[in-house]
Amino acid sequence: MSTGVATAPLVAAQGLVVGYPLASGGRREVLRGVDLALTRGELVALLGTNGSGKTTLLRAFAGTLHPDAGSVTLDGRSLGDWSRPALARRIAVLPQQLELPVGFTVAELVAMGRAPHARRLFASTAEDDRAVARALLDADAADLADRRAEELSGGERQRLLVAMALAQEPDLLLLDEPTLHLDLAHQVGLLSAIRRLRAQRGITVLAVLHDLNLAAGFAPRAVVLDGGRIVADGLPDEILSPDLVQRVFGVPVDEARTTEGRRHLALRLD
Amino acid sequence: MAPRLRTLLLVFLSLAAAACTPVGSPSPTVSQQPSISAAPSAAAHSVYPLTLTDDAGRSVTIPAAPTRIVSLAPSNTEIVCALDACKDLVGVTDFDDYPAQVASVTHVVIGGTVDVEKVAAAQPQLIVAAGNELTPSAVIDQLAQLGFPVLSLYPHTLDEVGDDILLVGRAIDAQAGATQLVASMRARAGALVAAVGSAERPRVFYEVGVFEGTIYTAGKDSFLASLITLAGGDPITGDPASTSIQLEDLIAADPQLILLGDAAYDSTITPASVAARSGWGGMTAVVDGKIIVMADDLVITRPGPRIVDGLEALARAIHPDLVP
Amino acid sequence: MRAAAAATTGRLAVGPSLTRTAIVLGGGAIVLVVAMVVAVAVGSVGVSIGDTAAILGHRLLGLPIPRTWSVGAEQIIFDVRLPRVLTAMLVGGGLALAGTVFQALLRNPMADPYIIGTAAGASLGAIAGLMAPILVPALAIGAGSSWLGLGVVQVLAFAGGLGTVLLVYAVSRTNGRVPVVTLLLTGYAVSSVLAAGVALLMFFSGQRLGAIFGWLMGSLANARWLNLAFAAPLLAISGALLVIRWRRLNLLLLGDEPASHLGLDVEREKLALTMLATLATSTVVAISGTIGFVGLVVPHLLRLAIGPDHRLLLPASILFGASLLALADLGARLAGGVPVGIVTALIGAPFFIYLLRRSRDLSRGAVA
Repeated sequence: MSTGVATAPLVAAQGLVVGYPLASGGRREVLRGVDLALTRGELVALLGTNGSGKTTLLRAFAGTLHPDAGSVTLDGRSLGDWSRPALARRIAVLPQQLELPVGFTVAELVAMGRAPHARRLFASTAEDDRAVARALLDADAADLADRRAEELSGGERQRLLVAMALAQEPDLLLLDEPTLHLDLAHQVGLLSAIRRLRAQRGITVLAVLHDLNLAAGFAPRAVVLDGGRIVADGLPDEILSPDLVQRVFGVPVDEARTTEGRRHLALRLD
Repeated sequence: MAPRLRTLLLVFLSLAAAACTPVGSPSPTVSQQPSISAAPSAAAHSVYPLTLTDDAGRSVTIPAAPTRIVSLAPSNTEIVCALDACKDLVGVTDFDDYPAQVASVTHVVIGGTVDVEKVAAAQPQLIVAAGNELTPSAVIDQLAQLGFPVLSLYPHTLDEVGDDILLVGRAIDAQAGATQLVASMRARAGALVAAVGSAERPRVFYEVGVFEGTIYTAGKDSFLASLITLAGGDPITGDPASTSIQLEDLIAADPQLILLGDAAYDSTITPASVAARSGWGGMTAVVDGKIIVMADDLVITRPGPRIVDGLEALARAIHPDLVP
Repeated sequence: MRAAAAATTGRLAVGPSLTRTAIVLGGGAIVLVVAMVVAVAVGSVGVSIGDTAAILGHRLLGLPIPRTWSVGAEQIIFDVRLPRVLTAMLVGGGLALAGTVFQALLRNPMADPYIIGTAAGASLGAIAGLMAPILVPALAIGAGSSWLGLGVVQVLAFAGGLGTVLLVYAVSRTNGRVPVVTLLLTGYAVSSVLAAGVALLMFFSGQRLGAIFGWLMGSLANARWLNLAFAAPLLAISGALLVIRWRRLNLLLLGDEPASHLGLDVEREKLALTMLATLATSTVVAISGTIGFVGLVVPHLLRLAIGPDHRLLLPASILFGASLLALADLGARLAGGVPVGIVTALIGAPFFIYLLRRSRDLSRGAVA
């Protein structure tokens, strides 16, 4: 986080207000003024209840949603000023789920991630081929390269999606609840891989997570959304207090300390 | 969007309803009402290359006297044969049945479709086509582009049949024969018209066909309607475009005489079966039993040299006492 | 195996290998040439292979061959069959290409080139053109009238097809987006209305009903060099612009939002693809009527054979669609000059049922 030296943020939201049109006419404001800046190489977990605006914030950062007020900038330039292909060369999104078209191999789907970089009309460049190979390796999906996408298991699909995102060679990786539907081993595996990639490639990561403890172990910075506003931003150990959890999530929790001294939140059931 | 389309449909409807005569350019001798003109002057020999205007208004140039002729309609075949050029026919349709000698001629029109390859293989020096899309205009274009002279015939009246025969006579250098034939046709027709001319005109319904409840008859201002008028009848007509008439309109028109043209091809259609149709029982013709099978439907509806036979058959059916 | 290779070279060549591309496209080209030769050599009038080759060599390649064939044979081969076969190839290729594009764009395996209104609009235009001399006697354009060498029917069909799709597209737009489902439903609704108009005109068509039916079934009988001159450049342009968009079509298969995240300006691309495919379809319909099944079945067959990657699929669809229609038209000619649309329907429909049963994946959609 802050190192005392002013570093220009890679991506920043300022006064962001985003809403959706309602069927009845009129708008439903989801984000009501969000300020959030990420510097290069930061690893940030985004937390909050359903409907607090997590996914909306992520989509605003991806450039898919246009703000009603405020702005999102990348390298200082408003997202709206970027062309879509240019944005896609810098930002990659790992979606919650993806309907994979039938008949493509894993390698072919990962190669689609090179689309924003495509230079030749019909063939791929050596650079593209290298990026695809690296993406598969880094996502631990190299052994899946020739498999048909529709034959993959849940965990294997997740690795494919990661590889697709990495093929874009992004500076910013946005993950939308990547651990949903994954078993424990895969959850750990995925988040560990993301941490490793951030170290290897210097990617900035913003991940929407729902498991508070997992988030605390994953990222050195957590941002909590409530009702479309940021209510906490900082070291998970410091900000994720039982107080906050009660206030934002409405459930009582007990806290404990792990052997390493990290705070752990335990749910209290009646 | 929807209102605009609706308006468009209404425009089409009103245009369709307002349509009168089937379209086509008048033949060389302009004569629209059913009448008989005097016989033309003594015939000459055609001089080639010869340029004629056909019934579609096209200018057709025939380089030399044709000795290889293709006919694309049974009526045209009959005209060519009536002018003594039957031996010159190198292509006819599979519907051609008169005269008997055309049975041996190659079929270039099968099931209503013109086989352009077969026509080209026959290398005709004149093609006689049928107008009003009976021979599709696209096919006529294609044949013309291949370099063949195509004469398109479409007579609207009895008089125009004669004019068409004269036209073909000029085209194939058979003017003497054509003049003679037309003169005798017109004389005969004139006599028939005179015989029934002053008699009272009964309301005549000519049944062309009844399919799945839709009744087909002579369209308004059509050739068939004009023939019936010449034959001394007052034709009940249908929509000029679809040639259909609704049953209630037919009942309201109340025919005094029903002529069954379709009975010539379908033996299940008889005066008794017609009288038994629901809704038909009240018509004067049915009550009086005046329903006649028209075995000669072919000559009535084929606008060729035998058309006066058709006129005679009609006149006899309408006024049996005046035409023996 | 691939992983090992990738590990050593640090590269992973993705996509169809050169050999595979050569086999598919080369094979397609060979099939096309053979189909063309057979279709020109065979017809309702027998012309010997020797004469056929000699005539083609003489007229097309300018070879100084002594004339040993009849005038009739030359007319048949060069003026009747050749333009017709070339038209069949152009039409078949265009329909198959448009069908492939629409199936990806609409993410619907049942999509054909006509689905968002092209057929209905072009039919109404063409039939209005066929009926004009009846409905408005003042418009008694004698047969053979033309505008820019094209008949009234062709011009109205072309305008009707394009115009209808523009209308459907405009109506489907909500909040600056055109959701695929809305496009499909609007296309269906507008097509239904226009079809009613067509039926109305058909009732009043009288003598012209046969011509109208032939047009609706789709027929290559009116093939002529002039129509080819109109259609060829339009198809070449739209075809080329579509074939180079293979990456974008692949991306669209992932869904609108994922495609957007991968750098595609989704709404602009959907519009471009729709318009290009509709241009190709309208051009084809204008000169041949609404021939069915080619645009529906060829993409499916090819996907089963070579996979869904549009890089190969698009050019392959052009080659094999062209061959298919050239041969179907040969069948139509030998069957007595029936409209070729009847032949494609007779072959296409059972084939499609066979495809459905054979490929279990098809129920999930070859396009997910």
